[in-house]
Amino acid sequence: MLMRRLRYWTESARRSEALREEMELHLAEKAAELEADGMTAESAQAEARRRFGNVGLKREDSREIWTTRLLSELEQDVRYGMRTMTANKAFSALAVLLLALGIGANTAIYSFMESILLRSLPVGDPESLVVLNWHSRPPQEGNKEWVHVMHGIQGHFWPGDKGALASGIFPYPALETLREENPVFSTLFGYFNGLHRTLAVRGQATSASAEYVTGEYFRGLEVSAAAGRLISAEDDRPGATAVAVISFATSQNRFGGPANAIGQSILVDNIPFTVIGVTPPEFFGVDPAAAPDLYLPLRTNLLTDGPEAARVYSDGNFYWIEMMGRLRPGVTMAQAQAALAPRFRQWVATTAKTEGERAKLPALILNPGAEGLGSLRRQYSKPLYVLLVMVGLILALACANIANLLLARAAARRREIAVRLSLGAGRFRVVRQLLTESVMLASLGGAFGVLFAMWGMRTLTLLLSNGQENFTLHAELNWKVLGVTAALSVICGLLFGLAPAIQSTRPDVMPTLKDGRGGGPRRRAQHVLVVAQIAISFLIMVAAGLFVRTLNKLHSVQLGYARENILLFTLNARQAGHREPEMTTFYANLRKRLESIPGVSSATLSQSSIISAGSAGGAYRGTMKIGAATIAGAGVMAAGPRFLTTMQIPILAGREIDERDQAGSPPVAVISERLARIYFGNENPLGRRITFEDDKRDLEIVGVSANVRYGGLKGDGGSMTVFAAARQFPSDRVTYALRVAGDPPSYVRSVREIVREADSRIPVTNVATQAAEIDRTISREITFSKLCAGFAVLALLIACVGLYGTMSYNVARQIGEIGTRMALGAQRGAVLWMVLRRALILAAVGLAISVPIALIAFRLVKSFLFETQPNDPGTLALAGALLLSAAILAGYAPARRASRIDPLAALRHE
Amino acid sequence: MGRKAQKNDSLPGSLDMLILRTLSLRDLHGYGIVQFIQQSSDNELLVEEGSLYPALQRLELNGWINGIWGVTSTNRRARIYKITAAGRKQLAAETRKYAKLTLAIARVMGTE
Repeated sequence: MLMRRLRYWTESARRSEALREEMELHLAEKAAELEADGMTAESAQAEARRRFGNVGLKREDSREIWTTRLLSELEQDVRYGMRTMTANKAFSALAVLLLALGIGANTAIYSFMESILLRSLPVGDPESLVVLNWHSRPPQEGNKEWVHVMHGIQGHFWPGDKGALASGIFPYPALETLREENPVFSTLFGYFNGLHRTLAVRGQATSASAEYVTGEYFRGLEVSAAAGRLISAEDDRPGATAVAVISFATSQNRFGGPANAIGQSILVDNIPFTVIGVTPPEFFGVDPAAAPDLYLPLRTNLLTDGPEAARVYSDGNFYWIEMMGRLRPGVTMAQAQAALAPRFRQWVATTAKTEGERAKLPALILNPGAEGLGSLRRQYSKPLYVLLVMVGLILALACANIANLLLARAAARRREIAVRLSLGAGRFRVVRQLLTESVMLASLGGAFGVLFAMWGMRTLTLLLSNGQENFTLHAELNWKVLGVTAALSVICGLLFGLAPAIQSTRPDVMPTLKDGRGGGPRRRAQHVLVVAQIAISFLIMVAAGLFVRTLNKLHSVQLGYARENILLFTLNARQAGHREPEMTTFYANLRKRLESIPGVSSATLSQSSIISAGSAGGAYRGTMKIGAATIAGAGVMAAGPRFLTTMQIPILAGREIDERDQAGSPPVAVISERLARIYFGNENPLGRRITFEDDKRDLEIVGVSANVRYGGLKGDGGSMTVFAAARQFPSDRVTYALRVAGDPPSYVRSVREIVREADSRIPVTNVATQAAEIDRTISREITFSKLCAGFAVLALLIACVGLYGTMSYNVARQIGEIGTRMALGAQRGAVLWMVLRRALILAAVGLAISVPIALIAFRLVKSFLFETQPNDPGTLALAGALLLSAAILAGYAPARRASRIDPLAALRHE
Repeated sequence: MGRKAQKNDSLPGSLDMLILRTLSLRDLHGYGIVQFIQQSSDNELLVEEGSLYPALQRLELNGWINGIWGVTSTNRRARIYKITAAGRKQLAAETRKYAKLTLAIARVMGTE
């Protein structure tokens, strides 16, 4: 039945035509028969028609048998709704605008969540992929001493459940052990993030992200090449020809297309490789956060990282390789876990050297691999949930507002509806018609919302990427997102339409017909909605207040070094073939040439920028001693000549590191004031020594600098710093800093020119001003405070509109009453206060409800705040005061109007 | 509308039965069905011609008859209706119901 009906729908036009033809034939045959009975042709036709009845109506009847009443009534409702919408243009436009903002914001945020949290890897059968992780008790407990079978790492770990340590990196022997006769995986493959490498194509060097993969990687992921072939087991052997697979985007940018790239030779870190294949355009590896440009066979790291890299293949205590497996058909993840966990436990126990290590062995856990690695999820899921709650609140606010407007309008339509009800329309039928109208409004809002969302997504991508060069997070409007948007629109329509619809179809028809004015319950509903709006906007404003305050606190952190007029950029000469000791000379010479650029007052270099020194790791990480005392919590920064001058860090005693500090000369150090104060008290530290025990080196203290914020802004305030000479503690990668007059970006061109002259194989990367480099580390806070400030303004506006609308409506409804009062001698001031007081009471009730909610809810975002308590009294008071003044503002116009009522006119109106 | 006196409205729903019965004898197009009913009832039953088409659509939707394009005796293109197996079953059911009903009415009226 349903199928036939559906078929009818699809064939509706043809069927309707057939029906017409049938009826015409009928009439023709009838007429012919009548004619044969002796009628004239003309009257026979007329008679045939007369006997047939109303042709059009019968056709409608026939058609309706197939379609249904429900559908035809829906059509009526839609048409009627269209008429009412165009009749109230201002109302409809306002409602659609509010909804577009609300739904658009939700769509934008949701599309990000979808791309980060829900989307599957674009590989064959992603559901049967599993990621191998492990967790264990943390290496450092209480005594601060590192005790763990993991002696060295290259990769990440993250906090697991209940203070555990979780990670996805393994020693290579673990991979070999698990790979042997594996009963649950059809393939097990490994990979590790090779970070940034220098890729030279036809003499053009750029920085490219590389992924080192085992020979089973592409087979395991079931990915096939867009051109050429992908890496296989034969390529991943020691001594195999060095081959590389490049991403589709790289093939386009660097070779002009996938086909042109095959067989070309490239240089990766100055080592020749041959391109054998190109990955498909949609493929981005296994980590949605990474999107490598290059895929290299695992063992080619022996070429790029030097022969010393060989130890990572045999060392059972060095954790570096990540693993994924593909389940054999019919094997569940739980079965795989049960099969592999004991095997891993057995193996890892053999790597434990001490009792302490044995006490906290890592345990293997399998996680679903369909969505790839969780790095992006861990990084962005919580902020996105917070944003989703915010935009959800905005949408709720918009819905409450429109419900309010609809309630006010329902008053105007009460007579119309009463007439329809009394003429016999079913209540359900009328409710349905009103709901159709509100869902139509919402759908229109949703449609415009999609446009707004497209803009929002672009802005959000910009905000989140915050100038990162290859930002891989791309949200898109796919069918899933659009489906959610559509569902959201319909739900909104039902939500804000239902209460007014039920209200205005209450069965007490008679009083309305007699009176024409609204009654009590609707006013109460209106007040509830206004209070809800005030409460919601208060929450949003407090959130904005907290995030803005957090950002202000971060910006007012004492850096101790210059933020403005500094240009930073990074070079890696090792990846272009330079080696020690020539490399430090190269860097030192380059520094001198950079200093000679007109407008550059000083140039320096260091192993990283100061702000990222914490995450990049210091120049020395072992034990440091002054005499017998061990220094705890000091950072070591390898810096070149004129570092303190360039960064404008005051020199309090002695000298800074300069040209005298060569590789062969006695090692020196400049320490920060706090370090000097703690370890030397009032004695003069100059000439004393710091011992780097692991390096077996004694550094002579030659200077004392003012305190500097070493590492990130949010760290626990490491202002104990040791500056060592860059030439005595060389690093492969250095960050140059130029102190310039005027706008730093205008010097980028000269910098590139000079670096290219020095060695064209070295790409200039991470070009940024010091200010931007610092902001990059607090991009989330910047994004949050900008977005939330926008949300707060929006919320305040919406709430004001709601309050204003309600007060105006109330005043209009009470004209008679106010007129009577004034006729009896009430002062204008008293009337003004009467209306204003009501607005204030509504606002106060809203605040009274949301303050406790705020106190509880904002504890959840504590981790997003910096030196700001979630119940920050200043923020709460400010938000409350702003809201109350907005309430007064919104209530003032209607109140003034009320006080200007002419009693005579008002009474006549009554 | 048709002539009220002999219009087939004495038994609501009987039009469907009449159509099915007609089609169980032979395949016909719309006008042919009207004529057949009229003739075989000795002009006692006049089908309201306009109502025929909604009825045909209803029967087709229920799967009791099928309409296919064919040619009439006067060589014009027309939709010729055939009864289906389900339609025959339905006809049998309606015939039984009808027989019961007329018998009951006859008893009440004392004509039996």
